[in-house]
Amino acid sequence: MSPLHFSFYSAFTFSSLGLAFHRTHLISALLCLESMMLSMFIPLSIWPVENQTPSFALVPILMLAFSACEAGTGLAMLVASARTHGSDHLHNLNLLQC
Amino acid sequence: MNPHAKLICTVSLIMGTSITISSNHWILAWTGLEINTLAIIPLISKSHHPRAIEATIKYFLTQSTASALILFSSMTNAWSTGQWDITQLNHPTSCLMLTMAIAIKLGLVPFHFWFPEVLQGSSLITALLLSTLMKLPPITLLLLTSQSLNTTLLTLLAIASTLIGGWMGLNQTQTRKILAFSSISHLGWMIMIISYNPQLTILTFILYTIMTSTVFLSLAQIKVLKLSTMLISWTKTPMLNATVMLTLLSLAGLPPLTGFMPKWLIIQELTKQEMTPMATIITMLSLLSLFFYLRLAYHSTITLPPNSSNHMKLWRTNKTLNTPTAILTALSTTLLPLSPLIITML
Repeated sequence: MSPLHFSFYSAFTFSSLGLAFHRTHLISALLCLESMMLSMFIPLSIWPVENQTPSFALVPILMLAFSACEAGTGLAMLVASARTHGSDHLHNLNLLQC
Repeated sequence: MNPHAKLICTVSLIMGTSITISSNHWILAWTGLEINTLAIIPLISKSHHPRAIEATIKYFLTQSTASALILFSSMTNAWSTGQWDITQLNHPTSCLMLTMAIAIKLGLVPFHFWFPEVLQGSSLITALLLSTLMKLPPITLLLLTSQSLNTTLLTLLAIASTLIGGWMGLNQTQTRKILAFSSISHLGWMIMIISYNPQLTILTFILYTIMTSTVFLSLAQIKVLKLSTMLISWTKTPMLNATVMLTLLSLAGLPPLTGFMPKWLIIQELTKQEMTPMATIITMLSLLSLFFYLRLAYHSTITLPPNSSNHMKLWRTNKTLNTPTAILTALSTTLLPLSPLIITML
């Protein structure tokens, strides 16, 4: 694996580990989700350059648009949780336990 | 909910599902999955109740993670094989990551923890959408890549799902959580057979959709959210309670009803593939879910509460004709004699 691919791989892995091990706040989970999307954006931008396929050049913009929508939705859920649960603490999300 | 917003959400759901099902490129499949996630978030959270918001947050986090993992696995495959075709997923790390990502999306064990809670926090019709329509794109992706996925891992996920779905459903009193665990165990059956005969997975999924839709629509008509409400619902619609009983027994897989067909064909296929111990194990584990289906059926038809309960009993008011429920009930109980025709159509 080339050093470039290794850097994207490790960026995504560390972001996903950060998402999996977030402890207190919902916003840290949303930030890790955004960094996962960012670490996908850079390789998708490099792909048309290194493979000389200009038809693929629109794909990173499409991906960024959808991840921006997703980030907006996540922030809306943050605001909603602040309205109903009082804060974005994750240990407050315990109303639905078995 | 605002009718315009509801229309946009519903059309987006159908569009996202169609995009993923009909795609050949991983980016398009990912786009369809994202559209589906974004479209169903307002539907889950429309009542603005704290439980609904909590369910929405849990659903959003898990589905977004799974979508990002799917994109990353397709990227890894593209680095090593140079193409983005869905059916040509060959890199072993990509296959492993894709299996895990789709397990998160579907709610297979060990990634099932979000599913009962999200179903519990949403209304019955939204729970129906989450159980049936939202499962279609990930199962399509799994079907397209089923040749290159690790069979041992899929068998392990399937048996664990049937075990957990059966066992954890035993202690539930809320009907939405019971149906969530029934969904998890049916998904286990579907994943069991996907490496050997993917068309049986399609058949199981279609029949599971019909039967689950029947149960959800019938329960939505009598507004049964817990077992104690089921006990006194016979006063509102006695015929519907009888058909709910038959549909639940069909979900459990009892012979003269439709639900027996997928289980029978899956066991036959597993035996042909020399996997008889697995077939025995998965059949025994579905006895666990039989118990809670029987308990639900018992509460709907066979018992009367021993004393006058504290609820006001409504005597047969609001008798509305509900055609989709009637058609789905007929399909979900009487389709077994047509199984030779269905097998030739596979």
